[in-house]
Amino acid sequence: MNEKSHIVKSYEEQLLLLKDTIVKMGTKAEKQLELSIQAMVRKDLELAKKIITDDEQIDRYEFSIEEQVVNLIALRQPMAIDLRETVVALKISSDLERIGDLSKNIAKRIISIQEVISSELIKGLEIAGLKTVRQVNLVLNSYLHRDKDITENVWNSDEEIDQLTNSNMEMVLKKLETEKNQIQLTQLLFIAKNIERIGDHATNIAEQVYFLITGDYLEGQRPKG
Amino acid sequence: MKSKISAKGVNVYYGEKQALKNISIEIGEKEVTALIGPSGCGKSTFLRCLNRMNDVIDICRVEGSIKFDNLEINSKELDVVRLRENVGMVFQKPNPFPKTIYENIAYGPTIHGLVQSKQELDEIVETSLKKAALWNEVKDRLHEIGTGLSGGQQQRLCIARAISIKPEVILMDEPCSALDPIATAQIEELIDELKNEHTIVIVTHSMSQAARVSQKTGFFHLGNLIEFDSTEKIFKNPGNQQTQDYITGRFG
Repeated sequence: MNEKSHIVKSYEEQLLLLKDTIVKMGTKAEKQLELSIQAMVRKDLELAKKIITDDEQIDRYEFSIEEQVVNLIALRQPMAIDLRETVVALKISSDLERIGDLSKNIAKRIISIQEVISSELIKGLEIAGLKTVRQVNLVLNSYLHRDKDITENVWNSDEEIDQLTNSNMEMVLKKLETEKNQIQLTQLLFIAKNIERIGDHATNIAEQVYFLITGDYLEGQRPKG
Repeated sequence: MKSKISAKGVNVYYGEKQALKNISIEIGEKEVTALIGPSGCGKSTFLRCLNRMNDVIDICRVEGSIKFDNLEINSKELDVVRLRENVGMVFQKPNPFPKTIYENIAYGPTIHGLVQSKQELDEIVETSLKKAALWNEVKDRLHEIGTGLSGGQQQRLCIARAISIKPEVILMDEPCSALDPIATAQIEELIDELKNEHTIVIVTHSMSQAARVSQKTGFFHLGNLIEFDSTEKIFKNPGNQQTQDYITGRFG
């Protein structure tokens, strides 16, 4: 539905600000994720440190969204599409915060990996990671443009990330049997799992955006890899 | 849900002007139906069709069928007094009789011949005031004048008066618009209680009140019933763009 403006302009502005904050937070979270994959591939420790420091920005966005949502509910009593806009913003912001946090966690683990890891393993993680970046990017676009089709695509393609994660973990586990750098390899297991979790959060956001657009819930069990 | 009132193809005219256009709606028994819409949309006109209050307006003409159970409300042969015995009404501004609290309640049951003795009448006064959640506040001053009560108390007195003759349906036309938030909450709590025994139709300008008290909501606009659905659906995900524009406060 293409919405008209509210009669009360300040209400309209508050809802636009909320949407804008989500988009900014999402863009930052997506960037953090993308950089964490980059830092892993390039073994760039400086970049990894920057990711860790920058995570605070995402937390600040989350706080701002929480505050805006509580104010809207208390002072405007949003209804229908506005109610969904408000409630969904709160849920999306907590998924984005988790994406930011998991990206930060990837960065932390990179720092302790150093350079003894085979490029084959890193390659597998990179593929899964970039796929996840794409999912986050798409779902944010579906939020921005209220695009139900993209939402459903994101929701349906999480399975691929799950499959990539499984094969990445198998590869790492195999190495663990033969190689000595077990601490570093274990870090890779966590990175693989973080990427998979980020994919799940993108799926959660897809569900929220679908609800926002349609007022209905995406049906059925999410396909599992 | 069993239907208590069933309107089909109702048209209402004030002289040349058509105030309601082809309204069909099912009012469920023992639930609260809220009618919302901008001023002049026809919601109060529709409410007044349900107990033939439009009869008192000379230029008003009602067409179509409104059935109360199996009784045709619009029938010329209908005994309007009996109808109103079964379809009570509470108005925007509390309008107690300029008589004592006791007399306000006792009047209806007495003229409708529902009581045989003083004791029976006392009982009706007490239960009506209890059901209207007013008993504790007035039980020691039943013989004081009703108009001396606070606005919220007066409105509950009017509700007690309406329920004293045990109507099956209660119509409420913006019953809280003259009341403060506490009195409003008391009326809303009362509506919740009353729906166990009565069918309630309420006209309100407060979206949040409609959302709080009703199970079904109908949105009227320019004499049309635009959307009628469960209150949850109307306020979470209305099916009609006009409904959404209205309840979210957008340009309509």
